[in-house]
Order: sequence, then C-alpha cells, then structure tokens
Amino acid sequence: MWILAGTFASSAWGATTEKVFVTCPVYRDTNAGRKSGCWLATDEAVGIRYDISLSRTKPQRGHEVLVEARLPSTSSASAASSAQSPCGGLTLEPVVVSVLDSLCPSFMLPAESYPGRRFRLDPRLVLGTADVPETLPPGPYPPRTWHIEFAYQSDFLQYQYSEVILDEIGRYVRASHPRRVEVTGYAVTQAREVSGHRLAEQASLAQARADMVALALERLGASEAIVKVSARENPEPLSADGELLEPSRRRVDIHLSY
Amino acid sequence: MQVTLLLRLALFSGAAALLAVWPLLDVSAGGRAERPAPEAPPTWWQPDSNRVFAARADYTDSTGTVSVLHVGGDVQTRGHPFFSALGPNGRACVTCHQPADGMSVSVSTIKSRWRETRGSDPLFAAIDGSNCPSLPQEQAASHSLLLDRGLFRIARPWPPRTPEGAAVTPQFSIEVVHDPTGCNLDPRWGLHSAHPRVSVFRRPRPVGNLEYATRYGYIFEPKNGLPLPIDPRTGLRYSGNLLADQRARTLEEQALDALTSHLQAQASLSAPEMQKLVGFESQIYVAQSADRVGGSLSAAGAQGGPEALASGKPAELQGPGHPSWTEFDAWQHDAASTDPGQRAFRASVSRGIALFRNRTFLITDSAGLNSMNFGNPTRDSCAFCHNMARTGMDVAPGQVDLGTTNEPYADPAPELPLFKLTCASSYPPHPFLGRVIYTHDPGFALTTGRCVDIGKITIQDMRGLAARAPYFSNGSARTLRDIIEYYDRRYSIGLTEQEKQDLTNLLSVL
Repeated sequence: MWILAGTFASSAWGATTEKVFVTCPVYRDTNAGRKSGCWLATDEAVGIRYDISLSRTKPQRGHEVLVEARLPSTSSASAASSAQSPCGGLTLEPVVVSVLDSLCPSFMLPAESYPGRRFRLDPRLVLGTADVPETLPPGPYPPRTWHIEFAYQSDFLQYQYSEVILDEIGRYVRASHPRRVEVTGYAVTQAREVSGHRLAEQASLAQARADMVALALERLGASEAIVKVSARENPEPLSADGELLEPSRRRVDIHLSY
Repeated sequence: MQVTLLLRLALFSGAAALLAVWPLLDVSAGGRAERPAPEAPPTWWQPDSNRVFAARADYTDSTGTVSVLHVGGDVQTRGHPFFSALGPNGRACVTCHQPADGMSVSVSTIKSRWRETRGSDPLFAAIDGSNCPSLPQEQAASHSLLLDRGLFRIARPWPPRTPEGAAVTPQFSIEVVHDPTGCNLDPRWGLHSAHPRVSVFRRPRPVGNLEYATRYGYIFEPKNGLPLPIDPRTGLRYSGNLLADQRARTLEEQALDALTSHLQAQASLSAPEMQKLVGFESQIYVAQSADRVGGSLSAAGAQGGPEALASGKPAELQGPGHPSWTEFDAWQHDAASTDPGQRAFRASVSRGIALFRNRTFLITDSAGLNSMNFGNPTRDSCAFCHNMARTGMDVAPGQVDLGTTNEPYADPAPELPLFKLTCASSYPPHPFLGRVIYTHDPGFALTTGRCVDIGKITIQDMRGLAARAPYFSNGSARTLRDIIEYYDRRYSIGLTEQEKQDLTNLLSVL
C-alpha cells in the first residue's frame, strides 16, 4: 500500500511535485454571475486552504473530495497568490477533484469580499451543433491512440471534456475506417492511503469505463464488430506535459489500427 | 371557412365580454390576475366529428388568446387518425389534446365535460381517466385526480422495461407507502398483480411545437456523457425530450403507446395512417398570440404567436449571442402603445425576461443538473435549464429532478400515491437523496431503473401555457403564479412581489 498524505514528489513516475489529500469542500458563494461560485478545500495535514475551483469536476457539498493537483513552485509564491486569490485560497492548477461517497458537513461561506471568477468556457471544449456538416480529418491515417480520464471511482464521461475527445475519435473512425478499435479500460486497484482514507478502485470499474467508451464509439459510427473491449488494472501513468500523473492512471485508452 | 368565421365571431364575443370586466383587472404592477378559462367552452372536439381543423385558430384562455397553427393548411378530420376513435373506449387523440387548451387539456375543461356529460365522456374512461379502473366509475370521487388536478393514470410495468420491451433490472425496490387511489395495491391493476404495474398520475403534454421536442441541437447528452442513441429505423438520434419519463422516444412510439394504453386499441395503425398522424402532429405550433392587457403579442415589434415558432430553428441553444425570449425584446422600449396599462404590462414582461436570463440563484440537490460535473450547488439562472430558444425546453435531453415529485421538496399531496424506493447497496445511491427515497412519481427511473433517475421529469415546452393549467407533471401548480412560487421556494431565490408578477406575466405571453 502507498502511504500518501500532503505533498509528495511522485518519484515513481518522475520529478513532478503533486499534492493529494481528502477533505470536506467548502462552497463560497461569490455571486459573480452564472457558475461563478468558488470551491475551497483545506489540507488539514498542513492547514492550507486551497482553491480547487478550476477542476473540471466540481465538488458536491456534503461529500468529501479527493484533491489531486500540482503545487505552485514555492511556498512564498503560494502565500502571495493566496492573498490575491479571487476565491480566498491558494489556487491549484491543474487540479482534479473526485467526489467521494463519504459524507461530511455541508459548508457554505459568503463572498467576504472575494470576487470569485466569472465563468468563461474554453471554446475548444464546445462542440458544433448537430446541423453543421461535419468535417472529416484528411488522411493519411496512421494508427493512433487517445486517452479519456475519469474521476476516482467513477465511470462518468465528464461533460466539456470527454465528448470533445470522443467526437474527434468518431470523426477519425468515420474517415479512416479502421480495421480495429481497441478500447482498454483501467482501474487503479492498488490501495493507497490519503489523509487517513484507504483509496482503491474496484476492479470492475475498468470494464465499466471501457464499456461506457465503447458504447459511445458505437453510437458515433464504430461498428460493434471492430470494437474490442478489454479491462486491466494499475497501468503506468501518462507522461504528457501538464498532465497530473496519478489521475492519468484512471483512464480508457482507445487505439485505432489498420 | 365557415368554421373559421365562427371561431372569429366567438373570439370577438369573448373580447367583448372581457371589455366588460376590464375595470376589475389589476394592472397597477404591470400585471393582472389569472382567472379560469371560460367554462363550458363551445370548442370541445368530439372524436369522429366531421370538421375542419383550421390552418390557424384562436381560442380565448385564462390570460388572452392561444393560437394553434397547422402549417400544412386546413385538415379534414373525417377518418383522420388523430381525430378518430381508434379503440373501444371512444377516445381519439384529440380527446386529451384539445386545440382550445393549447393541444393539452385543462382542468377547467375537464370539469366542464364532467358536468355536461355527467361523466360519460370518453375522457373519463376507466382505464386512465379514473383513479383506478376498479372503482365505481359513475362517481366523481373515482375521477378525483383528473377532475381536481387534470391527471391521467399512467401504468408503468414493474420491473421496468426498455422501449423495445426488454426487461430492466432496477437498482431499487419499490413499496407503496399509501395510495388513496387504491390502484397500486389493487389485485388486478396493482404492483402485486399478475401483470405488475406502478400507477403514477400525470398531465398530458401538448401536441404542439413537436419539431422542437424531437430535434436535437447536439449529439451528446451531457447528463451521461454519451452520444444520443440512434433510431435504427431512421438513422436519426432520439432527442430524449418526449414524455415525462422518456418511455417513448419518437412520435411513432408515443402514438403506439397511447393507442394501446389511453385508447385501449387492439390493432395498430397502418403505415400510411401512422405517417398521416405523425405528419399532422409535427406541423402543429401552439403559442399565446394575444393578452387581455398586453394586446397583440406580435405588436410593437414583438414576435409572439405560433408563426415565429413555425419559422424558427428547433433545438437552438440560447446563449449570450441569442438569449432567451428575444421574441419580446422590442417591448423593452415600447413607445408604440398609448395605453398605460398595456405599456406597463409589456414593461413587466420585459423585466420578467431579464430575470429569466440573468437572475442567478443557487441550484441545489437537483439530479440531472448538480449531478453533472457542475457541482452542488451551482449558481445559474432559469435559462440554464430552460435553454432552448423559443420553447424553453432543454437542448440536452431534459430529465431533471426539480423536486416536484420527490420528498422533501414536493408540495404536500396526500391525494397522490406515495412510494418508498430503496436503492440496493450494490449500486450507487441517489447523489442527493440517499438510498431511501419517498416519491409520488419515480419519473424517468421507471424507464431506466436507475436510482439517480428517481423523480426526474423531462422539461417541457413553455409555450401556450395559459391555455393548459395546471402545471408540472403532477398538476401541483394550479396557476402560472404557482410555478413561480414553487421555484422561489425550492431554490430560495428571494423574488420580490414585483419580480414574481413580472415572471408570471412572462409565462402568460409564451
């Protein structure tokens, strides 16, 4: 079992410093327009309040959250950015939040002069409407692999993330007619202890994630006959720049071959 | 032509009568009291009548005039499947989808039919126009949910079945806590009968603006991240926006479901009949076209009425570039009206639109909204969910739990069945209600069998509302104002009296 609490250098996967902890989230109602609320999370091991609002999955008040993030480089920078934070916590980015089943008190704070963030949707995360003629990618079509990540203990295809990848794969499939679409789901069943919680995914989640992606691809035009679904446990993390390592282990790989 | 003339005369007579009560209307806040539609309407459509369904017809309703537009022109109803009694109980589609009621049927019309026919109208058919078929049908008390709340019995198979008829393993068990109708514990019709059924009670959805309900704007369903499923017959995707529980995914499936349940028909429709029926339904547009105080809804630059719906683009997402209810934007600076009451009303509607678009509040514990990755709570406005331009439906399939049927948010309704649903430990619990949920109507969960879907009801069309009270799937909002009151209470919005009136006035002109 891995023992993780607070900051760690994930030496197993590289030199990146990642933060992982479990806590009870706090909603700050900054009332700065639609989707403007702030989500705060205190790492009780070190007593620092973080702003986790930039996670694509937001917390559910009254449920504990698993926070996985990259720390800012120095503690002095941390203190400065905390003071200037729009939400009243040290901003974590990138940050991945997973909502846990475990319950905790439901907290909400007023704005307390924090402005919050006005909601801005990254245009890259917006798909075109159904009535726009689709543009298929031009060839050649070498074998290619995509990854879709999931929250801890979840097979939910996250909005304004998964569909962008799935849409791209769907267009690639329709354009290139692959011989095979391999969909491999992973779950991290290896237990680790975080903030006193023992975290380990169920093995069946690997299959559930793969099935969900396979169903999506079939609805996007991949013939059931060419889609091969498999499930595995405890993969290596991805190492793309900017990615958090541990969350990347909870994923589905989609590989097109010809 | 004669029918059209008669309708116009009737409308004129109605307008004259309204003028007589004009001083009684409260227009001081740019609003006026809702009132029941005229009783005993002369506009009732009997099945198998030899009439002409006019290309456009206007009907007086609770706040003004609702208009029904058929873009295919006049329709001769003799032998038409929508207007014909296709089953033994004497009902046709039109029985519960009356033009004068915005192609649904209002509780005031239902009461009138009971009085006029002493309960003999096929509208009150035992199968679903009574609280339970086993009750003495001659007694009004046996039809109380229809007479008081406009609710028809919907008998869903238990365990649930997919629209294709495949068995679904439910994630929850269901018990009847209490049922004043008796139907859920009835030995023939109940949950423990030879053909187990869960009886829930719902309002009929309008047969209008269905282009908007059946089209889809985006191919992905954000609530589960999957692409919308594809109808193998047509290659098109299911919109997911028909019926409260999505038990039918296309107009054809809805027609077959209604044929066997509501009409009790043994035989199906031929392909040409089905084509004629669906073609007719798809060409109907319904909207308010005039208001008693506000006047014509297409005056002073406004674009109310069904014509703008017919020419509009279905399944278009509102947003910063084209916000909700632009149809009435011209009324923000209405200088055309010389009538102070009319001007005040139009200004009130404009304020209502601004509130609908921009007044944010904390949306909490609403499965289908907060259960996505938006978080709980999330701050947004009415337009967040009612995001389809021109109808206020949800561009994404709109299965949402507002709390209208689930405890603890549902209004007290001792006259409705109450069920206890227990989610099995091998499945995820409901994200906000836990493993044990009390509900008057499990809604979408009776189609999917999933805990997270308990109490989800598909968001419906907001046009022509004034013609078809009461509202919400279980008729819990008796007036337009009650809708606003429910939302204000449910989400602690804190609307002022003026704001409530402004939003009510907005609903009244849609």
